[in-house]
Amino acid sequence: MKKQIKRTILEQARDWFESDRKVILARVIQTWGSSPCPVGSNMIVNDKGEFFGSVSGGCVESNVIEECLDLLKNNNSFKQLEFKVSDDNAWNVGLACGGEIKIYIEKINS
Amino acid sequence: MKLEILNEIIQKKSSSQNFALLTNLTNGNSEIFEFGKFLSNDFESYKKQIENYHSLKKNGVIDGTQIFIQNFTKPIEVIIVGAVHIAQYLVDLFKNLNFVITIVDPRKFFITAERFQNVKIINDWPEEIFKKLETDSNNALITLTHDPKIDDPALKHALKNKFFYIGALGSKKTHTKRCQRLMESGFTQEEIASIHGPIGIKLGGKSGPEIALSIVSQLVLQSNKLLLNSKK
Repeated sequence: MKKQIKRTILEQARDWFESDRKVILARVIQTWGSSPCPVGSNMIVNDKGEFFGSVSGGCVESNVIEECLDLLKNNNSFKQLEFKVSDDNAWNVGLACGGEIKIYIEKINS
Repeated sequence: MKLEILNEIIQKKSSSQNFALLTNLTNGNSEIFEFGKFLSNDFESYKKQIENYHSLKKNGVIDGTQIFIQNFTKPIEVIIVGAVHIAQYLVDLFKNLNFVITIVDPRKFFITAERFQNVKIINDWPEEIFKKLETDSNNALITLTHDPKIDDPALKHALKNKFFYIGALGSKKTHTKRCQRLMESGFTQEEIASIHGPIGIKLGGKSGPEIALSIVSQLVLQSNKLLLNSKK
């Protein structure tokens, strides 16, 4: 019987890197008020736009992925992102819960 | 972040050591921190604060700096005595939580690799196993056999070594008898009262998965209290 081995986010990042994907690690570094993911939560994104893990419980992930892809496009190595209380008109970005989070994204390099 | 740091984290996590990942948010440099380890120029001047955050297991941007610290703490080791069906549900529920599981049972037909995948299984008597295992207050014990000759030696060991969580499956009647036996073995009322028995928080369920859920909930609750107390 084949054993199912639990893959962690960091192990997945390494696997992507080793199969020649470009990989960005996103980590929650600060939170204020109510925020669904604690400091230290992480998510990885590759150059195909695939992602694994979570930084907010769905509120800002799409935006973080876009920022990660931009980081790759612009050939930068890191960036800080800040998300505040959501604007009703921009329902797909922002934290509906009313919290604020700071996310640090960085490229994995050899 | 460099791949070698990523690899170091993965490797250290599997060897269950306490360490932290430091990142200088102004230039993107990262490195691994452990007590007693030499720090590079990026972090050297914040050594005191870094040590402080690390011993409190506090994650975050260190006050007044641009240094982010993320702690990786040794998972809690849970020893389950009794490779019965509830143990299988327990393994399922524990798999996404930060616990390392060891299952112990002297009965060979219960403790098979087919029934328990991805966890450590030991086919021996608890008495023998505890002679070899290093345990302390970071351990938890769950006894499921309600057979005194299997459960009792494990409970005694856990009490003596001050496991932070000890839970014993069995009805109120079984538990009363168990307490009586432990009293006769010289354990104090207070020590015996620290055993969660009958095990689990009251969810009102009787099925295997529900009992397992009530046990995991109780253990998680106790482990979070432990973490809170260490931060005070």
